[in-house]
Amino acid sequence: MLTAENISQILMSGLLMGLIYALIAAGLSLIFGLMDVVNFAHGEFLMTAMYATFGLVVVLSLDPLILSPIVAAIMFVVGAFCYRGIIVHAMRARTNVGMVQVFATFGLAIVIRGLAQFAFTPDYRSIPKSWLGGQTLSLFGVYMPAPQLAGALASLLAFGALWLLMKKTDFGRALEATREDAGAVGLVGIDRNRVFAMGWGLGAALVGLAGAILSIFYYIHPDVGGPFALIAYVTVALGGFGSVFGALAAGVIVGIVEAISATVLQPSMKAIGIYAVYLLVVFLRPRGLFGH
Amino acid sequence: MKTKITRREAGALVGGAVAGAFAPGLAQAQGKQIVIGGLYPLSGANAQIGVDAKHAYDTALDVINNKHDLDLPLAKTEGLPNLSGAKLAMTFADHQSDPQKGRAEAERLITQDKVVALIGTYQSAVANTASVAAERYSIPFLGADTSSPSLHRRGLKFFFRAAPHDEMFTQTMFDFFDDLKKKGKPVQSIALFYEDTIFGADSANVQRKLAGEKGIKVVADIKYRSNSPSLTAEVQQLKAANAQVLMPSSYTTDAILLMKTMAELGYKPPAILAQDAGFSEQTLFNAIGAQGEGVMTRSTFSLDLAQKKPSVGKVNELFKARSGKDLNDLTARQFTAAMIMADAINRSKTGEPQAIRDALAATDLPGDQTIMPWRRVKFDENGQNNDCTPVLLQRRGDKYVTVFPAEYAVADVVWS
Repeated sequence: MLTAENISQILMSGLLMGLIYALIAAGLSLIFGLMDVVNFAHGEFLMTAMYATFGLVVVLSLDPLILSPIVAAIMFVVGAFCYRGIIVHAMRARTNVGMVQVFATFGLAIVIRGLAQFAFTPDYRSIPKSWLGGQTLSLFGVYMPAPQLAGALASLLAFGALWLLMKKTDFGRALEATREDAGAVGLVGIDRNRVFAMGWGLGAALVGLAGAILSIFYYIHPDVGGPFALIAYVTVALGGFGSVFGALAAGVIVGIVEAISATVLQPSMKAIGIYAVYLLVVFLRPRGLFGH
Repeated sequence: MKTKITRREAGALVGGAVAGAFAPGLAQAQGKQIVIGGLYPLSGANAQIGVDAKHAYDTALDVINNKHDLDLPLAKTEGLPNLSGAKLAMTFADHQSDPQKGRAEAERLITQDKVVALIGTYQSAVANTASVAAERYSIPFLGADTSSPSLHRRGLKFFFRAAPHDEMFTQTMFDFFDDLKKKGKPVQSIALFYEDTIFGADSANVQRKLAGEKGIKVVADIKYRSNSPSLTAEVQQLKAANAQVLMPSSYTTDAILLMKTMAELGYKPPAILAQDAGFSEQTLFNAIGAQGEGVMTRSTFSLDLAQKKPSVGKVNELFKARSGKDLNDLTARQFTAAMIMADAINRSKTGEPQAIRDALAATDLPGDQTIMPWRRVKFDENGQNNDCTPVLLQRRGDKYVTVFPAEYAVADVVWS
């Protein structure tokens, strides 16, 4: 059964999904790297972005692909607002500030999900028609669904842009400096709150981009973020907490390991493959593949 | 560890709040009211099922508690005549599709809300735990829309199921294959695709067994993880196996993802014959459009029965006024379960759990007094009704039509 064509198909599917996983994990990794907070509302950010895309498609009748930068921009505002409105208050805790922040994001997750169920009903939505929906490229018998291909390319572009931003702009350098030592940057005139808010905005914008593309081929539902968020957490841990580019490599590894274990083991055991690899990495290199 | 506990508690809090919001009958649960408990997913991935179920039960309560010109038990009177016109009420709890929450919520409904009977639960896995709790408190449990065969084989005295279970459903599918064979179109190979729960496993077990008996080759046997982010690898295996009939047992989320992934990977099996669940939902067909044409599913109900039974059309109108949707396989079974329960409570004369249990056990309701294509409702010693014929439906345009068995069919099956 395992022909060369099958193997290439498995690797290609794993690679495409993996790049999308990486894009989803990028924002999580960025926020963690910046302020050591695991954002438990990350899956809900993804869900919000998918509903935003759905709403804009219905209202504006534009393609999700065109709308994706708009959705990313909306999510930037949502992310920054979440920081200014909630996280900044959690940071004022005198003790256990890390835990307070974690639980603040956890509460946020439940509130967002509850509001989504209330406002949008728990019905499953999907975008019936789009340029890429249902389109497939076939190369030597290997199928590449167009929406996944677009997601993979968007992921690579986003990581490229992120690299330029981090290395070439003042904001990127401020981000990098705040990440190194959030206390000291104040001394050189960097407003740490502003950097944090921008970091949250950027993180949410990245997952917003992922949500816009995901909504082309995935159903939209208040609980849709859960399975993706779980994979995003293991991706960030595997790549190394805080290493944004580690998330890229880890996302691809997770995607390919998932595709291989679904084939070699059983589809119902594919998550085991991912976590076995993660445990192996913990055993050999506890800080993750690219952790500092 | 700490995170986990808090997470669960947070979930329970939200669950409680949702359940509270759905329990308006609670405050008036005294006086001339008999209260039964409904266990459904009202939040989480299957929340829409619970919302629709609530509309179905509210429709049944309306028929029972008010006068309606319908050929259904208790329709023409107000309330329960044998209990001096007492009204029937339902209070709902949210099990979030979680068997443990289902058990806990069943206990809460029994001990705190003092319900006299329970109805539920959509997922068989939840019915499994919740009905054991009901048994312990000697409270009758009527499985409205759960179909795992193992449920009525546990020797429970308080468990009842009026609708067919998966063995009966699957038997009908293979009877259909026999019928095709007689018409010179034998089915030689099938692919099983089922989720890793009691529903999926039970369904696939029967399909495997019957295929073996009929000499039909199972060329793919794929158990998958439900609510996966991707089903690409699974669909590749289905495609490689290239069976004549694909037989999925999946809930709505996975059904949508399966069909979309199949389209993306250029896989179109000659026929799809589904074990209901997600494939009975209009949402799936909204999501996949023309790809749904010709898809078949087993069912207990079809709207075209209205051509033969006027009450089907009238009940559908009542339901549609509440929900904005037509009755489907699930909501029809839920409505019917409430009618059967009300009939038993009325015959119990006292409204006490033990008397209701005995009245359920003595039920003998002719099929023409239900909205289903059933011969009658009569429970065997395990609490299972064996006189309920499943039907097979096929998708034509934007609706399902009944194509098998011949006595209920309104159209011929399209089979390549």
